[in-house]
Amino acid sequence: MNETNRALLLVGSPRGSKSTSKALGTYLLDKLRSGGFETADLHIQTSMRSEESQARLLELVGAGDLLVLAFPLYIDSLPATVIEALELLAKQRKSIAPSKTQRLAVIVNNGFPEATQNSTALAICKRFAVETGIEWAGGLGLGGGGPIEGKPLEDAGFVARNVRKSLDMAARDLLEGKAVSEEATKLMAKPLIPKWLYLIAANYGWKKQAKACGTQDKLYDQKSST
Amino acid sequence: MANLGDCMIEAVVLNGARNGDTKVDEVSETLSSILKNSGQVTVFQLRKMEIADCLGCFGCWIKTPGECVINDAERDIAKKLAYADLKVFLTPIVFGGYSYELKKVLDRQICNILPFFTKIEGEVHHEARYEHNGSLVGIGVLPKPDAESETIFKTLVARNAINMHPPAYSTEIIYNDDDEAKVIEKIKEALVGVGLKNE
Repeated sequence: MNETNRALLLVGSPRGSKSTSKALGTYLLDKLRSGGFETADLHIQTSMRSEESQARLLELVGAGDLLVLAFPLYIDSLPATVIEALELLAKQRKSIAPSKTQRLAVIVNNGFPEATQNSTALAICKRFAVETGIEWAGGLGLGGGGPIEGKPLEDAGFVARNVRKSLDMAARDLLEGKAVSEEATKLMAKPLIPKWLYLIAANYGWKKQAKACGTQDKLYDQKSST
Repeated sequence: MANLGDCMIEAVVLNGARNGDTKVDEVSETLSSILKNSGQVTVFQLRKMEIADCLGCFGCWIKTPGECVINDAERDIAKKLAYADLKVFLTPIVFGGYSYELKKVLDRQICNILPFFTKIEGEVHHEARYEHNGSLVGIGVLPKPDAESETIFKTLVARNAINMHPPAYSTEIIYNDDDEAKVIEKIKEALVGVGLKNE
């Protein structure tokens, strides 16, 4: 068995357990556990709320051999609180040198149909790894993750078939001590549904939600300039 | 090209300096002095402001369209940004990107765009909420030259520029050992990049 045996999932979505980030990360983590890894998971936004929970986050990250960071794309980058956590980790690692080799794998999902829009966020994560002496184990970017709706991937049906396959491959790679393969990355980047259908469904979805809130006539409202 | 001295613009500077980022604060002072020649400038020193993180609830699109559901200092910033002629994102470059202090505010700016999708150069993005959108300048501060971080930073500002619909944008990198004359030169270059000269 590979020396790497502790995997820690860091979920970086404010939506926590209801998030697509959690669903993606949990699926991968389950595969890693089936492959013999010890696993644990943490919600970053909750962990950053107090000094005590931050200390717990630092402790668990320090104990992990493989860190899996899963988050939604926010403004072409990582959600602010995830950046805050990475700043904290980097600061700690400057004062206390890590005692072992660690690896970082990342899963980003966004609400646009193009997975390529995750590229800058992945580059930032890779840069974090380089600056903190963590081995980069690859990044997976999913576009148009809306249809998953935070459901466990096993329950997300046919639409998520490539996502599951990609994560199966990624788990195999990571269990063997390798970085996530290009094949897994390409499979994750495949659109869940055609772009034209995604756009129609998404635009209709916003109107439907607004109707439920009674705001369908206010969707284009602007703040007063005075 | 408009001369800063001849036109009156409303500029908003988001200063994402963390505690100890003295160079970023110095750049903020210099930038503010230059922009004051041309009209109104508001500098938000974000680390001193209590601003909650985005909840990811999309309430600003659905429940209270155009305004974040959280009532804190961000509402004032979002309003100023919506009507500014020039927006400056000033930040220490952190892993190639923005600091937490800057990002906590940017995450909550989706209230200033619409939920609906449109295509821009074949890629899908959200539609603009306002007809007028201010130009965007991204200024990143690094301890020393770092090609990889600089490339990521410039790409990030360029990507933001697609999503935020400014008529023009520019990026500039300032190093800790740039003296004041160099900082002024770089800031002016950044302003020229969005069609504003300072003579």
